Amino acid sequence: MVLVHLIPTTGGILLSFKRLNTFTFSRLFDAPWSGLENYRGILFDTANPLHDGFFGAVQNTFVYTFWTVGGTIVGGLAIALLLNRPMRGQRLVRTLMLTPWIVPSFVVAVLWGFMWQSDVGIVNKILVDYTGLLGERPIWLLGENSMWAIVIPSIWRGLPFAMIFFLAGLQAMPQELHEAAAIDGAGPLRRFRYITLPLLRPLIAVQLLFCVIYAAYQFAIPYIMLGSNPGPDADLMMTLIVRQSFSNNLFGFGAAASVLLTLAMCVWVAVWYRAFKRDLEAT
Amino acid sequence: MSARLVNRGLDALTWLVLALMLSPILWLVLSSLQTDGQLSRGAYDLLSPTFDAFTRMWQSVDFERYLLNSLIICTAAALCATAFAACAGYALARFQFRGGKALSLGVVGTQLIPGSLFLLPVFMGFVWLKQNTPIALFDTHLGMVLVYTAFFTPVAIYFMRYFFIAIPRDLEEAAMVDGCNRFGAFVKIVLPAAAPGLVATFVYAFLFAWDELLFVAALTQENAETIPIGIRNFIGNYQERTAQLMAAGVVSTLPVLIAFFATQRWLVKGITAGAVKG
Repeated sequence: MVLVHLIPTTGGILLSFKRLNTFTFSRLFDAPWSGLENYRGILFDTANPLHDGFFGAVQNTFVYTFWTVGGTIVGGLAIALLLNRPMRGQRLVRTLMLTPWIVPSFVVAVLWGFMWQSDVGIVNKILVDYTGLLGERPIWLLGENSMWAIVIPSIWRGLPFAMIFFLAGLQAMPQELHEAAAIDGAGPLRRFRYITLPLLRPLIAVQLLFCVIYAAYQFAIPYIMLGSNPGPDADLMMTLIVRQSFSNNLFGFGAAASVLLTLAMCVWVAVWYRAFKRDLEAT
Repeated sequence: MSARLVNRGLDALTWLVLALMLSPILWLVLSSLQTDGQLSRGAYDLLSPTFDAFTRMWQSVDFERYLLNSLIICTAAALCATAFAACAGYALARFQFRGGKALSLGVVGTQLIPGSLFLLPVFMGFVWLKQNTPIALFDTHLGMVLVYTAFFTPVAIYFMRYFFIAIPRDLEEAAMVDGCNRFGAFVKIVLPAAAPGLVATFVYAFLFAWDELLFVAALTQENAETIPIGIRNFIGNYQERTAQLMAAGVVSTLPVLIAFFATQRWLVKGITAGAVKG
């Protein structure tokens, strides 16, 4: 199993040092070496159009990841708290709440792409025609708003998973602590701050780790909703890499950018590990 | 009195949140029951639904082929991943061996590699095999099954390990005392006891394979294309036929939705396993 992953990964890293494009593709594994040329072009060559594209995508991926992960975790926690109360139809609500997670992401993209449409989309119909919250119709799928057009569906789809994860943690939590604190006069907010949150910390840590990786590697939602080139405001790392590799045949660039993305994730894991080391050891 | 009021309010809030979360799905179903013309003019007539879009969609794209491909590839890949994971997960759960910890770490590590880094060499390898040998992996079911199996086995191992740990050792030991060997005990005692886990792992892998777009976009051309590709091609060719597109969305969500609701009790257990154990 390790082998199956290791060989292509090594291949990918090697590839990033080669000059592989339309002309050399037919030679496949014998493509000429180019040393660090791919990396230099991406990182330092300001005349290279790929340079700007790369840094634009880095910035977009950062923004996308930040909002998606933040929204998923905060929203997931809030809904988990809400569902942790005893109520009628509890099991039904919990199960139904998971359904957005089951909807495949390409369907999510198609569906929201339709909902965002400026003229006939339901979002603008509600915001403008029915409630009159906004005076004029925003355009969601182009320009600045397109980032939100992919962030919101991503949260919508990812939230149920975080919710069920936190809910399991909440249910495994010993009730005595809450009762004791309540007797001592701590209100719900303080109980949440000083009991629930610290006990949930390891779970939040795990969610954070995987949500960030998952969001940074997001591909299907922008690709299906906005097309192979989502435009400078919503072009993520993965859409950029795939477009340059498979539409423009710049495989060397794609491989080099992938390696940089992997390095960024390694840095993230290292930072994460330092921040949450204590919580991991406790469990 | 006020506590009861707060409780009522929170109940209502819960239902409201649920309604908000479900409304896009409801919208998907509702708009698939309209006609293309109605959707493009924004003139909905929710009172007279029609299955027109479904029949038209079925005719205009070869949706049946995509659906079949998806079903074949995802089922086969999920089966293989579950089978591998059952063996590896059992080993990790029961035996202490050198490198066991490294293997567990490796399982997490594989999730760290972006698909794109992985994809290019696989793509080149498949193309090379096609050009130079009779081994057909590029644009075949077999190739996609191989890729997906490799892709989902690590997570599946993590799943299965948890389910095996939950089975008491005494069960197998009793079987071994009664004359079963280790393998016999595994097949006859442990596997049946872990059946819910196997089902959960299978469905989980299936859900993810169903959702996968990146690899199938690069590694197939015609024969082995799955539903996501079908949807993408549909958008490319008939962008204005929204109702048909929504109908395609409904059809491609239904299989996973059914699989989920049939097995959700075990699936949720598998997902939350990590949460409870920490």
